[in-house]
Amino acid sequence: MIEVENLSKVFVDTAVVDDVTFFVPEGQILGFLGPNGAGKTTAMRMITTFLRPTAGTITVAGINADDDPVGLRRNIGYLPENVPLYPEMRIDEYLRFRADIEEVPHRHQGARIDDVVERCLLSDVRRQVIGTLSKGFRQRVGLASALIHQPTVLILDEPTVGLDPNQIIRIRELLVELGQDHTVLLSTHILPEVETVCDRVLIINRGRIVADGTPDGLRSRMAGKPILEVVFKDAPEDQVLGTFESLTGLLGVDCLDDGRFRLECDTTGDLREPIFRLAVDRGWTLLEMSPGKASLEDVFVRLTTDEQADPAEEA
Amino acid sequence: MIKTLAILRRELIAYFSSPLAYLVMTGFLLLQGLIFYLVLAFLNNPGSQTMAPMEAFFGGTIFFWLFLLFVVPVITMRLIAEERKTGTIEVLLTSPVTEAQIITGKFLAALVFYTALWLPTGLYVVILRRYSEIDLGPVLAGYLGVVLIGFLFLGIGTFASTLTSNHLIAAILAFVGLVALFAVPLVEQLLVSDSLFKAALGYMDLWSHMEDYAMGIVDTRHVVYELSVGLLFLFLATRSLEIKKGR
Repeated sequence: MIEVENLSKVFVDTAVVDDVTFFVPEGQILGFLGPNGAGKTTAMRMITTFLRPTAGTITVAGINADDDPVGLRRNIGYLPENVPLYPEMRIDEYLRFRADIEEVPHRHQGARIDDVVERCLLSDVRRQVIGTLSKGFRQRVGLASALIHQPTVLILDEPTVGLDPNQIIRIRELLVELGQDHTVLLSTHILPEVETVCDRVLIINRGRIVADGTPDGLRSRMAGKPILEVVFKDAPEDQVLGTFESLTGLLGVDCLDDGRFRLECDTTGDLREPIFRLAVDRGWTLLEMSPGKASLEDVFVRLTTDEQADPAEEA
Repeated sequence: MIKTLAILRRELIAYFSSPLAYLVMTGFLLLQGLIFYLVLAFLNNPGSQTMAPMEAFFGGTIFFWLFLLFVVPVITMRLIAEERKTGTIEVLLTSPVTEAQIITGKFLAALVFYTALWLPTGLYVVILRRYSEIDLGPVLAGYLGVVLIGFLFLGIGTFASTLTSNHLIAAILAFVGLVALFAVPLVEQLLVSDSLFKAALGYMDLWSHMEDYAMGIVDTRHVVYELSVGLLFLFLATRSLEIKKGR
């Protein structure tokens, strides 16, 4: 649905988006993840034809952005960053205006407005003036207006930023629902959002794609060696370290506070049983033993902090 | 067409939901009323020249021009600048609307508002008719002139508004542009020789255009001048919107 090839945008002489290529198939929810200033908004603005790329081609729903920008825009519902709205208009007035410029035929406008108002939970406030709305409502008005013409592709720039936790959950539910019959490209720097909503993640840093995959796939690829965390009660540190040396398949031990140890294992065998037996033999009380899980957060930090942001790492 | 009308309608909502519109209208009518009174008082003086009151009202005084020079930039300043400032321009330019449709819709809204400003002055004609015979021809030609000069000025103002995201700067740019155009006859008077250049500048003398309209003379050269320069600036406004978009 969305094809982006060798897309670049140079402002003065910094490449904000640098030779980015990706493809979003129909029905996918793709999360665009990256630190602030990574080029997410710029890339999205180029896909919606608001900005002209320095180089590269963009195709949405089979329409090339250079050949027919207006046609391309017909297929896109776009929620820009910070949700620009006209403060002096009422919600339904604004939605009617958007329906007009998005070419929704007059006889369908009433039904379309009712539909998006209901979907975005705006029924109680639809006669209210936009300038008096809270941030959460403004966000929903923006989303409603992006849906008014039933676009096949939704492009949402940080749809949940500035919302309270309840509103975030509601918007995420709505996004998942929308993902069933739309292709969605959304940007965020909130990691749990990606985990709950997206089918696929693109991590972008300094204008380049540094990782591409499902949230689970990325996590396991980045997890590296399996980790075990073990907590003993009243076990002398040096004794524990000495005993662990005899274990096969143990690559390293980190001694944390309060009798907590972090073991890096190799992938051949399961060390949980030998550790348990050792503890029993020595008379140490085993309080806790759990596999450490690399979070997407770790992946993100590894990929977007400077010393490890080497693109070779994604292989 | 529907899209242009939608933009026009939205713009009018914006005009009439801001206190500025009412301020401008009130100030405009107060001052126009004062001028109308002064014109009548002047013409009632037995020593003064004979002239139709509406002719003097439209073309005879500097006040007419002072208003246009100040009021037009205020009407046009927010057209595009406001959209840039609040970011709503991004919504417009990512919907299936062309730059030309945006400029046309907004310009027409400004023209409607401007015309609405003048409508109540029609009362002056009604009042005059109660006391004397009035030749309606020149009056209508006068109003046509008001709209045509408005077309030209609002075109310049619209262009100025595409250049910046700051209202005040947009208004000042428009004001400077209008004053420059209005000052053309002054330059013409400074030129001594009877050159082609001097003649060309002579055609651009808006004051004399308005005097002609007020006398009931609708010279097609004037009409073409006002419309074509107005359209030129609307074209420039469209281009400016397209070019600025790339950045």
